[in-house]
Amino acid sequence: MVTATTKGLSRAHEIYADRGKRVRELRKAGKKIIGYICLYPPIEIITAMGMVPFRIFGDMSEPITVADKVSTTVVCPFLRSIIDLGIKGKFDFLDGAVGAHTCDIGMTTIIAWRDYIKDAPFTHLIDVPHTDHAPAVDYFEGQINFFKQHIEELAGEKLSGDKLKKACELHNKQRKLVRDLYDLRKSDPPRLNSMENLEVMVSLFSLPVEEGNELLEAVIREVKERSIKPAKKKARLLVWGPVFDNTSLYELVESTGADVVVDDTCVGTRAFWADVKAPYDLHALAQRYLVDIKCPRTYRDTQHQETERSYDKDLDSRFSYIKKAVTDWHVNGVVLQSVKYCDTHGYEVPNLRHYLDTLGIPSIYIEHDYSERSLAPIKTRVEAFVETLG
Amino acid sequence: MENATPALFFAGIDIGSTMSKAVVVDAQGAMRGYVVGPTGAEHRRRANKVMEDVLLKVGITLDQVAYIISTGYGRVNVPFADKQVTELTCHARGVASLFPDVRTAIDIGGQDAKVLKIKSGRLTDFLTNDKCAAGTGRFLEVAAETLGLELNEMGQISLQSDTPVKINSLCTIFAQQEIISRLSEGQPLTDILAGVYIAVTTRVVKLARQLKVEPPVVFTGGVAKNSGMVKAMETVLGMPVLVPEEPLITGALGAAILARDEAFKLVQDGHYKIQKKQLSEAYIEFTEKKL
Repeated sequence: MVTATTKGLSRAHEIYADRGKRVRELRKAGKKIIGYICLYPPIEIITAMGMVPFRIFGDMSEPITVADKVSTTVVCPFLRSIIDLGIKGKFDFLDGAVGAHTCDIGMTTIIAWRDYIKDAPFTHLIDVPHTDHAPAVDYFEGQINFFKQHIEELAGEKLSGDKLKKACELHNKQRKLVRDLYDLRKSDPPRLNSMENLEVMVSLFSLPVEEGNELLEAVIREVKERSIKPAKKKARLLVWGPVFDNTSLYELVESTGADVVVDDTCVGTRAFWADVKAPYDLHALAQRYLVDIKCPRTYRDTQHQETERSYDKDLDSRFSYIKKAVTDWHVNGVVLQSVKYCDTHGYEVPNLRHYLDTLGIPSIYIEHDYSERSLAPIKTRVEAFVETLG
Repeated sequence: MENATPALFFAGIDIGSTMSKAVVVDAQGAMRGYVVGPTGAEHRRRANKVMEDVLLKVGITLDQVAYIISTGYGRVNVPFADKQVTELTCHARGVASLFPDVRTAIDIGGQDAKVLKIKSGRLTDFLTNDKCAAGTGRFLEVAAETLGLELNEMGQISLQSDTPVKINSLCTIFAQQEIISRLSEGQPLTDILAGVYIAVTTRVVKLARQLKVEPPVVFTGGVAKNSGMVKAMETVLGMPVLVPEEPLITGALGAAILARDEAFKLVQDGHYKIQKKQLSEAYIEFTEKKL
């Protein structure tokens, strides 16, 4: 029997399987749908303009066949997948797309989108600096202001401070609810597995914020009513890395006899851990996105005012949030995953592994080419890693 | 039956990409026999065949084998195994049983290469080649084909060289072209062969250096049977390496020893009867398949 309380996870499963369904309906009813790439376009502005932000993901099960005409094969296969799907018309329900200089390829992706995707009605590139220094935050605020002006033209109206504040509060509420949901995975075994969790996260990137919040409330109710299954697994893992928008990696890891209890990816904690702070203006947005989101695309140079630099202190200032997650979720192993050719994450790996070594947390690094078939050969290595933890 | 004495043998089966191996150990963990054969396309049939052969060799029947662990690339295709364990864990256990002080194990198989860090007999860290055939047995097979030689004669020929040629390509196919151009330049075969071994070894040692190579180093896998490879490995590493008498079977040996440990643990925990039942079912399945 389907009751109000069982609707959460099954609804997330439906949305995960057909991400465009709900936004297509909303578009028919007159809403504008704005796609965005990576985590850096401030979605509060899109929501405040009465539009729906829709995160553009790739598709690991769809071979890249047409993107090679507009990008080379030695760049991020996730971003190539996005362009491939765009050219194939899979995002034809979008009224616009916003990209940001999250990395070099992130920037060229939105430019390729503008140039090669037929009928791309509105595209915008936000420049994003790569440190958290104070002048960088000011510069980023200016870039957010350009985006605001551009989207005001599209909407035919000005952004009001009240609407922006309300949008920030709605998105902050979503972030709080996601953190509540993650709390339910602290138990041993976790009340929610990583595949279910990812389906919920992907749903949140596919719905207006209010509907996402309703979904989260339903999921949290449902998960809280579950009784914890008695079977404990031998490892509690944290998965780190760039975008992972497909349940297949989590299925692979969990099939080796481990639970993935928390993540540090941009389809999980990275997207939801930081709130926008009062007074909810453009500067607060710049602060939230550039400084408070913990993605290796921004170098968190928290010691720039100190004269004495130390490698250990530097590592701690960059990665101590991972130490906290390891403690809070009782993690005993870390899986570092990356898509091939991701320089941003690749350069972070030796430092992060060294940091984890000093904490006594075993880790493994795996690379995949953002296709489901590339995951199978990785399985033995993850399995052996889990065996060393047992 | 329930109170019958537990069978006193344990088996490990390693279905590798090229070769399948089976090992039987006794309750003391001492090896009682082993077999090695090509894997081929049909993993399941091969698993049955190596198991049957090793039982014949030791002179026992399957119901005398208390516990079986399968490992290797084809470990899921061993229907009568009680448990599957990855080849990384099994190799570490097998190598440590032969060389208790081992700290680093380098295994080069038909299509993969792995480096294991071992401490007190336990696997602590590892790396595998995850990209291509460079630095694996396949590389040597391609070189042998190109030079028109048998794999087993290559090693001896290479030992006559003191000036190996440089082969720089990372890719097996490009390296093959490099071998051909060295031949056309008129370089002696002995130097080219020695160069091939240095090239394979360099790729694997690069992997090993990421984990820090600590002695004693044990070298295993089919490739370790080749005297040219062993010499090249010692040259590139700059330290002696130990090679087991039969370097192909360390994975299966480790699986067999882990099978013994696991069965003893089950007896201790009082689960042995359940395992015994599963074992007899597996036996029926196994004998049916045989016919």
